[in-house]
Amino acid sequence: MVRRLLIALALLALAGPAGAQETDGGIELPAAVAEERITVSSDYRGSYITVFGVNPDRRARGEIVVVVRGPNESVTVMRKQRVFGLLMNGDPVRFSEAPSFFAVLSNAELSTITTPQLIHRYQLDPAASAQLETAVPDADPSAYRAALVRLRHAQGLYQSYTAPPTLEDRSGLTIYPGGLFRAVVRLPANAPITEYIADAYVFRDGRLISSQRIPIGFARVGIEGFIHTMATSASFFYGVFVVLFALGAGWLAAFLFRRA
Amino acid sequence: MIYLPIAEMPVSVVLVLLVSGAVGFVSGLVGVGGGFIMTPALMFLGIPAPVAVATGASQIAATSFSGIMTQTRRKAVDWRMGLLLSTGGVAGSASGVWLFERLLRLGQLDLIISLLYLLLLAGVGLLMLAEGLAVMRGRALPTVVILKRPIRTIAHRLPFRMRFPRSGLYISVIPPLVLGFVIGALAAIMGIGGGFILIPAMIYLLRMPTNVVVGTSLFQVLIVSSLVVILQSTATQTVDLVLAAILMLGGVIGAQFGARMGAGLRGEQIRALLGILLVAASLKFLWDVTIPPRELYVLGGGLW
Repeated sequence: MVRRLLIALALLALAGPAGAQETDGGIELPAAVAEERITVSSDYRGSYITVFGVNPDRRARGEIVVVVRGPNESVTVMRKQRVFGLLMNGDPVRFSEAPSFFAVLSNAELSTITTPQLIHRYQLDPAASAQLETAVPDADPSAYRAALVRLRHAQGLYQSYTAPPTLEDRSGLTIYPGGLFRAVVRLPANAPITEYIADAYVFRDGRLISSQRIPIGFARVGIEGFIHTMATSASFFYGVFVVLFALGAGWLAAFLFRRA
Repeated sequence: MIYLPIAEMPVSVVLVLLVSGAVGFVSGLVGVGGGFIMTPALMFLGIPAPVAVATGASQIAATSFSGIMTQTRRKAVDWRMGLLLSTGGVAGSASGVWLFERLLRLGQLDLIISLLYLLLLAGVGLLMLAEGLAVMRGRALPTVVILKRPIRTIAHRLPFRMRFPRSGLYISVIPPLVLGFVIGALAAIMGIGGGFILIPAMIYLLRMPTNVVVGTSLFQVLIVSSLVVILQSTATQTVDLVLAAILMLGGVIGAQFGARMGAGLRGEQIRALLGILLVAASLKFLWDVTIPPRELYVLGGGLW
């Protein structure tokens, strides 16, 4: 229940910049995702999100930017410090809002497509989306912001692509003749199983001319979904069940051992 | 590969079976519960520490229940002492789960777990190594009990004394309660059963006869680990049933092979080898808390 509420709040928070961009991007941008609902079963090992769209400009002028975001959540970044010879996590800096997943795909470097102001306004890079909550102890918030992006990047949760996909890596943005584009994002297995949002933008001469937003959800199916539902919505009875399961396994082991 | 619904990560079933089988094998060979090897092994595999600790407890519950079935048939359980230890254990594990959550929020859980494991693995490892080497050199008899048991301990002098007919004791209830509390707290924080601390304490501190020590400690371990599973499941929702099932399967099979192999091998060599293994594992934890890594920044608690 709480989790649902948090997701809803995060989606509301994300809706902020979306409302603003509709006034800017006047033309409709036709876009869709290959899978609106990704299924998670016991053989889940991550997934791909594929976004298709068509540049509404007749001569296909302009640059394409596709962003796939997970809901914002608070995150703490700490620095290891030596205390009595031991490394402790100190100087915590809290970001009240940071995307749990962020992938940005474009056909050129973002800095050549638009201005830093618009990158910040439309939150086109993860550092722009992270909101500081507490004051930074050694007065250098950019180091913490950079560390957050670096750490999440290393976990595969923040990604950026400016090149089309290669044979080794399916992720990237491909632009076809006639204005059709396709963006593929690798969703690693450690990416949170929540509601995602894919945004497609068309910029021309640094200005946003069109955009489209598509929600992407997850469905836990089979035994996988059943266990997760039980563990979160009936956690006490789930705990009791695991204990009974353990006792059953122990009894079976003792029984088999005695016969052997 | 199978996707774990609570840990939210795919793991190789074969790899987890091999690891839990190896841990079960060692525990069958040496006669320890193995929780203190299983939980760090899961963390090395990349399972988040909270899931490793909470799920490890369910495997300990299974192992101790299967052990207690055998011990009950031999009438080797002092139920009154077991209930008293469990009472302390219940309070201890509740405090432990609370402390676990606080440390997780403060971001110091990884340091505390690393430090506790460093002390525990190095301490137990060195003791085992020393004992194994001493026996090999022929300086001590090849039996477990080397220290001389004192006639009267603090347990006989404190107030609130009680009779324990099964153990033939008349001692204060305070030491069993405190002992149960400490083991319960450690169980909740570290994901261990605690039998390898509990058993020596019962022999030397409470002066219980050795024939009821194992069964009684298993009873306390069973109660505490079951409670830790339910508490962690309710408070942190970190108990993974799929992972637990694989651990139980691997652990049970491994323990059977270990127990059979152990009958035909020399105990002191096994102990010395396990001692070396544990000291080596403790060096990994020492490295983690003293050598600065290239990346000085950490996210959240550092373990999630």
